Amino acid sequence: MRAEDKERAVTEVVARVLASARDAKAVEAAVADTIYHERRRLEKEKPSRSRDAALRSWDDRKRRLVSESDEQTKRELLSEIATDFAREVLGNFDPRVYHYSTKLLPLMLSGLLNATSPTRILKNLPELPSVKDRVIVDGEIEVARELKERGTLIVTPTHLSNLDSIVLGYGFYDQGFPPLTYGAGLNLFTNPLISYFMHNLGAYKVDRRKTARVYKDVLKEYAAVSLELGYHNLFFPGGTRSRSGAIEQKLKLGLLGAGVRAYVNNLRGGREKPNVYVIPVTLSYELVLEAETLIDDFLKEVGQHRYIIMDDEFAQPLRIYSFLNRIFELDSRIYLTLGSPLDPFGNSVTREGISIDGRGRAIDTTRYVLDKSGKPAPEKLRDEEYTRELGEKLVTAFHRNATVMGSTLLAFVVFEMLRANEKDADLYRFLRASEGDLAFADVSRETEKLRVRVEALAAEGKIRLDDRIRGRGGDDLVLAGLRALGIYHNRKVVERRGDRIVPVDRNLLYYYRNRLLGFDFEKDLSRNGAEAKASALTEGASARLRSPGEVPA
Amino acid sequence: MTKVAVLGGGSFGTTLAHTVASAGRACTLWSRDEEVARKINETHRNPRYFQDRPLSPDLRATSNLEEAAKDAPLVVVAVASSGFREVARALGDFVRGDQVILSATKGLEPRTHKRMSELLREETCAKKVGALSGPNIAREILDGQPAATVVASRFRDAIELSAELLHAPRFRIYGNDDLLGVELAGALKNVIAIASGVLTGLGLGDNARSLLITRGLAEIQRLGVKLGADPLTFSGLAGIGDLLVTCTSPLSRNHRVGAGLAKGETLEAIVERLGEVAEGINTARVCKELAAEHGVAMPIAEGVYKLLHEGLAVRDALEDLMQRRPRYEAIDLDYSFEVPRR
Repeated sequence: MRAEDKERAVTEVVARVLASARDAKAVEAAVADTIYHERRRLEKEKPSRSRDAALRSWDDRKRRLVSESDEQTKRELLSEIATDFAREVLGNFDPRVYHYSTKLLPLMLSGLLNATSPTRILKNLPELPSVKDRVIVDGEIEVARELKERGTLIVTPTHLSNLDSIVLGYGFYDQGFPPLTYGAGLNLFTNPLISYFMHNLGAYKVDRRKTARVYKDVLKEYAAVSLELGYHNLFFPGGTRSRSGAIEQKLKLGLLGAGVRAYVNNLRGGREKPNVYVIPVTLSYELVLEAETLIDDFLKEVGQHRYIIMDDEFAQPLRIYSFLNRIFELDSRIYLTLGSPLDPFGNSVTREGISIDGRGRAIDTTRYVLDKSGKPAPEKLRDEEYTRELGEKLVTAFHRNATVMGSTLLAFVVFEMLRANEKDADLYRFLRASEGDLAFADVSRETEKLRVRVEALAAEGKIRLDDRIRGRGGDDLVLAGLRALGIYHNRKVVERRGDRIVPVDRNLLYYYRNRLLGFDFEKDLSRNGAEAKASALTEGASARLRSPGEVPA
Repeated sequence: MTKVAVLGGGSFGTTLAHTVASAGRACTLWSRDEEVARKINETHRNPRYFQDRPLSPDLRATSNLEEAAKDAPLVVVAVASSGFREVARALGDFVRGDQVILSATKGLEPRTHKRMSELLREETCAKKVGALSGPNIAREILDGQPAATVVASRFRDAIELSAELLHAPRFRIYGNDDLLGVELAGALKNVIAIASGVLTGLGLGDNARSLLITRGLAEIQRLGVKLGADPLTFSGLAGIGDLLVTCTSPLSRNHRVGAGLAKGETLEAIVERLGEVAEGINTARVCKELAAEHGVAMPIAEGVYKLLHEGLAVRDALEDLMQRRPRYEAIDLDYSFEVPRR
């Protein structure tokens, strides 16, 4: 954010947080709540000078809250707290550095390593191919390019990995887009080098350990204010990285609601380009950097999930390096697929920036936000409904724009076939099982069938597939899948032993398989399985294949 | 200026429009039939329904859809489900995002299984859509007897506006945010009402009727909950309230279908005699498909479907139901047990 806008943004955010606390009671409650949550958070931290200072300052605020009785003083206290939060969130952005950073981005990924192992990186650097050839930006990129001139964009991607924001930042820069403002978890700022780049890619700091309501309001209002100032935003509407590997089904709507809020404020302010456009983006990887940590967390007993993970593969530069190398070695692509744009109400938008209904008729969207007197005004419950509908449309778009890769295709088939053979076990027992394998020929046949099914669905525009699997035969597909699933993780996901396909790490198998949930492929496979069983009985061939039963998601 | 547009000059549309106009709010009734509209304007009577009953002199009628609905803050669509999409699509040409549109039609679209509010969403730009549903026998409301209905919408401002514009001294409005549940309850209960008509036709007593209503409610609730409805909706006016009235009132169309079947009439003859659409005939098919798709046991609805569309004899349908294995009542416990048979 430009320096002159930054002061404006802080003032505006603080004013809005204050305005939402209507009376003295609400102000006092907001301050007391923040003090409580912040103190509790700090008390759990390791003692340090900065922690102790912060604790003392909260103690001081607590004394002031208790001793002062008039509303004005309490409002000042709230203002002070909100201002501190807002300044902390905004961080620094320098457009000159942005330009410089994005140019260096491909190198930066490897540059990360400098922090730990300069010799290693120097030794390997020349072998690193360019990131540019790996990141494929496709889908409705031209429409998004037009719309960025007609209004402000909210880019809403799926979320699999901490690399996502870097890949997105790079992909959009490469396509000639201005920087995307986005909130990044504090853990992305721990490495000083990456922190420097993050800031300058338009990131602002989000500390997820801060749970006070005022802090969350500051974040939400900041998103709206920056949109109103014309800064394109990037929100991960799933909230955090998908733990299961599946495409997001439920979205966190709090931040997404900034779209309607900004639109209403733009109308009220009579701004020249009031429109806000939402661009769904689906990211597809052959392999996921943090797959092991994420699926482990997903499979923990309920209530033990970690919302914030600080110590995963992303915190290990060597691991990132190895990951990128494997991606290059596989000649694998990272797809960044833009879906058709939406307005903040979930309607489709044309290239000209006009919202249209299901029959293609233009919509006057100002009508959605009129109050009883016929003027544009925010209305919390109404706008939450609009945002919920937008969320549903986004989920659909995420699925339509997903790209099936060789790894996910094979993982899906192997998982479903194994599960069918062991359907009496519950999911956890199934995942812990060490016995069980499949005939290569069976897997090959089913994989090709699924590939054909995926292509049929792709022809209807309901999914996409990696060019490198289009039209390929079963054996090819299985071999390519085995290679991908065997090259990067600590243990192979599946491997071939003679004419058998053997699962090695069932958790990871489950993780990669989950990416293809939500398309009803399970049913296809089960139909296929039933046919195969019938033919097996008549031909007296392999009778191992049974029709898969329901798999708990 | 028109406050409320009621689309559909059938018995319920006419009744609702009359009620609103009588309460002193500008109301326009749209009828596809020019003659009906003209007669209502000239004689203040609907030439097809309740000819003995004068309508409010303040009620205006038109056969021009745009004239009726263009700027009305509230639009209520009360046409048969078979023509609903067409009317919605025509509305889409001029409706705007601040207008509230309610469906008063209790049916589901064949094949797509979609609810009427979903058709409104698909065919117009309106977001503030909802449904009006409840125990509302038109004749009784027209006579000024006490009655109440449910307005359901995800939008609270839509519910508040509807309550403000539709309530009348003898007509209460309750709000509900479970749009899905209210619409499903309203549509599915018509299938049970046909079964109730069969009981009437067979001359069976109150034990049988009570059994039917209770177990009928259990199965439509089971399907509704599976599809995402709030179970409590089925204990409300749009659920048990509506089911009770359609299963006991001889005025209910669906009830009359069942009674005719029990007396050995053919479905064609009954439909011919009714003159008006009995939604339950179509809904029975949709209901059977939904139940199969979602794996929900709906023995009564299945029996009604077989009566209507597969020529099963009434006695056999009843026998099938009574011979089912004993089970627990709770709706989420699908557990039956063996008893020795004679």
